[in-house]
Amino acid sequence: MDLQRLEIARLFHRTGFGPKPGEFAAALSAGVTSTRSKVLSPPSRTSFVTPPVFTDLGPRPAPNSADVVDFAQQLRYQNQQLFLWWLDEMVASPHTLQEKMTWFWHGHWATSIGKVNYALPMFNQNVTMRKYALGNFKDFAKAMFSDGALQVWLDGQENTAKAPNENFSREMMELFTLGVNRYTETDVKELARAFTGYQVSRSSGVLTFNTRRRDTGSVTVLGKSGAMSPEEVIDHLVSQENSALFIAERIWYRFVSSQEPLPQNHPMIKAFAGRDISALMGSLIESSALSQQHYSMVKSPVEWFIGLCRALTITPSKLPSPTKLYGFLEKLSQVPFSPPNVGGWPVDQAWLSSASAQYRVSFATSLIAEANLSELAAVPTVRRPAYLADLLGVVEWSTRTSYAMRGVRDNPQRLLVTAVCSPEYVVSQ
Amino acid sequence: MIELPRVPGQELGMSTVTRRQFLKYSGVVAAAAAPMLTVDQIAAAAITRPLPLGTPILVVVTLYGGNDGLNTVIPFKDSAYYSARPDLTYKPETLLPLSSDLALNASMTGIKSLWDANKVAIVRGVGYPKPDRSHFSSMSIWQTGSPAAHLNTGWLGRWLDTQATDPMTAISLGSVLPPLLVGAKQSGSALPLGGLAIPQGVIGTACQRLSVASPSDDPLMAAAATSMRNLFNVSGNVQPILAKPAPAAEDLPTVSGGNAGGDTNLSQQLNVVAKLIAAGAPTRAWSVSLGGFDTHANEANAQALLLGTVSKSITTFLSQMKASGRSKDITVLVYSEFGRRVKANGSEGTDHGTSGPVFLIGDRVTGGFYGDQPSLSKLVDGDLAVTTDFRDIYSSVLEKVLGTPAEKILNNWKGRVNAIKS
Repeated sequence: MDLQRLEIARLFHRTGFGPKPGEFAAALSAGVTSTRSKVLSPPSRTSFVTPPVFTDLGPRPAPNSADVVDFAQQLRYQNQQLFLWWLDEMVASPHTLQEKMTWFWHGHWATSIGKVNYALPMFNQNVTMRKYALGNFKDFAKAMFSDGALQVWLDGQENTAKAPNENFSREMMELFTLGVNRYTETDVKELARAFTGYQVSRSSGVLTFNTRRRDTGSVTVLGKSGAMSPEEVIDHLVSQENSALFIAERIWYRFVSSQEPLPQNHPMIKAFAGRDISALMGSLIESSALSQQHYSMVKSPVEWFIGLCRALTITPSKLPSPTKLYGFLEKLSQVPFSPPNVGGWPVDQAWLSSASAQYRVSFATSLIAEANLSELAAVPTVRRPAYLADLLGVVEWSTRTSYAMRGVRDNPQRLLVTAVCSPEYVVSQ
Repeated sequence: MIELPRVPGQELGMSTVTRRQFLKYSGVVAAAAAPMLTVDQIAAAAITRPLPLGTPILVVVTLYGGNDGLNTVIPFKDSAYYSARPDLTYKPETLLPLSSDLALNASMTGIKSLWDANKVAIVRGVGYPKPDRSHFSSMSIWQTGSPAAHLNTGWLGRWLDTQATDPMTAISLGSVLPPLLVGAKQSGSALPLGGLAIPQGVIGTACQRLSVASPSDDPLMAAAATSMRNLFNVSGNVQPILAKPAPAAEDLPTVSGGNAGGDTNLSQQLNVVAKLIAAGAPTRAWSVSLGGFDTHANEANAQALLLGTVSKSITTFLSQMKASGRSKDITVLVYSEFGRRVKANGSEGTDHGTSGPVFLIGDRVTGGFYGDQPSLSKLVDGDLAVTTDFRDIYSSVLEKVLGTPAEKILNNWKGRVNAIKS
């Protein structure tokens, strides 16, 4: 295998959403070092597609009141706009690491619109994730405490001095900052006390402080005692050595391998000493991990779909039916803003059922019907597989897939469906 | 009168609560990815290691949305019933009387016949402590079997953890696994309905070629090829089971032409379950479901249609099982996440309430009423009282149907409902 081609393919598919036309070939001539630094260059902006305007729709009107129909329509409309905007953003973004990190953090602080209901707080959360995607994790974690959508998702406002609710405090340690078994049950209870006193408007996501609900007593979390504000106690959590280890583990799991654990003392952990996420990612990208052949990963359905859109210059919001698009992603079990639970999406084999194989074929067929394939059609048939390997950022075609493509290479649409449903494209080698 | 569109569900915002949405937002998920079975895998297992005849089988029917228990098992002699929901009551003479003061919804003729044959236990006033009226948390409580602490496992999932590892032991119909089958060590399997559409023609040939393993494949690429291969891999052993018509329900009258409600998803699910049980699938617990019970508006027709479907599908299913010799082994459990409020709302519907009846149906059931009927004159915040804890039923089902001590699975729960024969 051409290891330079392998690493460059991974720089496109792991730290981004796949190449746009021409990018892969250009990166190959520029070389690995230059491609790495391009990935790591600081983004000029955090968003590249103008977002729709999301308004505060207020509480749901009473059933059968005059306003409820309009409300329901607006809610549905805003939720759909939100979904389409992010897909467009993933396809358009010229800074793929920034966008891929936003996607990673969405699966990390996994919040679902299914419980939050409203687009506005979900959009605001996405903006926060963009802001800190490659920023300081300590500041990020504090900002996420004040995130309305996350507060609703984890029942933050049920957590009062009188009746503490441990949902948020447990996940803060287990899933967001430390990892399971790196704290005690007492820590969970004490942290919940330090998190009391906040209420949130569901429709706007705005947090308010209510002194009467606040537990003002001293708490002890991971050995530190005192009457601590949420910011102080989160500072303490993220300062733990285990926090650096945990975030490095999560990055490894999603970007390098879910099959093999993070190697002990991986340089990423040290690089994260100051909790600078860009330093952590820099260390990963400069390490040899992405050039080691056995670290393959299955593309999640959204990654697979966005890669296809980028290669074919398809804008998701301009597809004929947003409902159909949503339906395909739902059948493949991955819809942005709707992670299955607070643990985020599964990985690898979970995406490889015979049902998903079938849905991928029908999804690809429907997408490719919308693409302009004139350039592919102009390529002589024998050269088409090689052309597609560069267009899609595939390392190499197996004899199996080459044989399958040979039977359909006269027909650009069928050839593309075959290529993107092949194991070489479904899996990031 | 202008008919307003159905009001979307209160909790989930975008549409009425469906099973799929609940599953997605339930917060309970299999530790490992839930195995996705294909019908052919189950059928193959049925052939190679069939479930011994006489092994009890549980079929759980979940009614998503909150079934209105008061219009299912109806206190038709109680004037409070008529005054609380004047536009949403039934004339006594249209109902199917079960006792001097309770009657079944008129659409449930099949279940009424089973009741007359002493095969239906109706547990009244079932719910969990401190009802919170949210679809999301109520269903989560029912499926995890844990009202106080949030558990990441379902009550049948914890039962699965006590069993030998086998993806066939518990199966849910549909592509997403419900939390009730999620265990810590092993989870039940999901069986997508409707099977898989195999790519045809030139693309079909190309896909078949893609499904071949290549020497250069790493394990994940090989798995991707296998997933494609499974699409095509319907074995010769299996086709006959699926191609065969479902077992006949010989003791039921043949319905000619169309019937109200038509072929519903629940009847399709139970039809597949019937075929696979008849074939000998080594499965002890099945999960099927029907959504649409969130009847905030124009309830009467919608609920009657749904209850008719439930009644007819279950009756047909049990009759189909007679030919297989397994009808004596089967116990059906029917529940919903909450009942609805006693008082109707302004749109001829009802809002989220508290307790409701649970049905246990089958040859192993001792028919009759269990639990106290919640009094309409002693409401709690305008809602029916919970007179039976849902874990009483689970405990009895675990012990009497699945033959497993309930203590560990239900945190030492002591209550029982003695409606199932040993």
